Amino acid sequence: MSEFTRSGGIYSLELSIDEAHILINLVEQLLELLGEGDFSHHYDESDPFAQLMAQLKAAPDEIAPPEDPVLLRLLPNAYADPEAAADFRRYTEPTLRGRKKRTLTQVREALAVIVDEDRGGVVEDLEGEIWLMAINDLRLALSVRLEINPESFDLFETLSDEDPQKPIYAVYFWLGWLQESLLNLLAGG
Amino acid sequence: MGVWDDPVNLMSYVTYVFVKLFGFTQEHAHELMMQVHNEGRAAVTTGSREEMERDVQRLHEHGLWATLQRDDKI
Repeated sequence: MSEFTRSGGIYSLELSIDEAHILINLVEQLLELLGEGDFSHHYDESDPFAQLMAQLKAAPDEIAPPEDPVLLRLLPNAYADPEAAADFRRYTEPTLRGRKKRTLTQVREALAVIVDEDRGGVVEDLEGEIWLMAINDLRLALSVRLEINPESFDLFETLSDEDPQKPIYAVYFWLGWLQESLLNLLAGG
Repeated sequence: MGVWDDPVNLMSYVTYVFVKLFGFTQEHAHELMMQVHNEGRAAVTTGSREEMERDVQRLHEHGLWATLQRDDKI
């Protein structure tokens, strides 16, 4: 299974072609949910992840709390009080949204290098901090769709191989494992 | 300004973010993370409204669920 490696200060990630496709598909779907439409994506509409992520589209009004629960998790309210939350959102949400899009775009561009050649391979010289945040946002997005809770791993283990949700759970837990491998390198100094 | 527990963010990730954003020692960051995990929420930073709103935004950028209250004070 893939994991991050570091040589000197340089971080790399070796991916199979399937893993690279899964990652870039998720990144692109999250970018679109965040309102980034200016790229030609790598997935087609029949992709199960596409169907999962597209259950609701981004709310056009950036001031109201997002209607999509994934967006609400990624761009959460800062105050319990609705009026205070709306004030805060009005002047901070575009920035937050922009930063998340920029982070995901960087990851997408790095992945596109190998995906566009239709091969697996090593994503070289990647920015560890950027990938850490991007993987975390992907996990958060999937967790909302899968309604992840502390018992989810036990549930995953009891799902039959025919269960259509099983591969999606598998990707969610794989991303957690991948993130942990990157954290070990980053926190190791 | 407080951070809420959630079942998704890895414990090691939360600790890492606290160290990165606030310059806490590894021990202090770990303690706060455990407090979030065990008690459901922990107060992480204090300061002026402007400082805390900035901290909340940085935490949101990293995917942690942080909130403040209108009457949050030093």
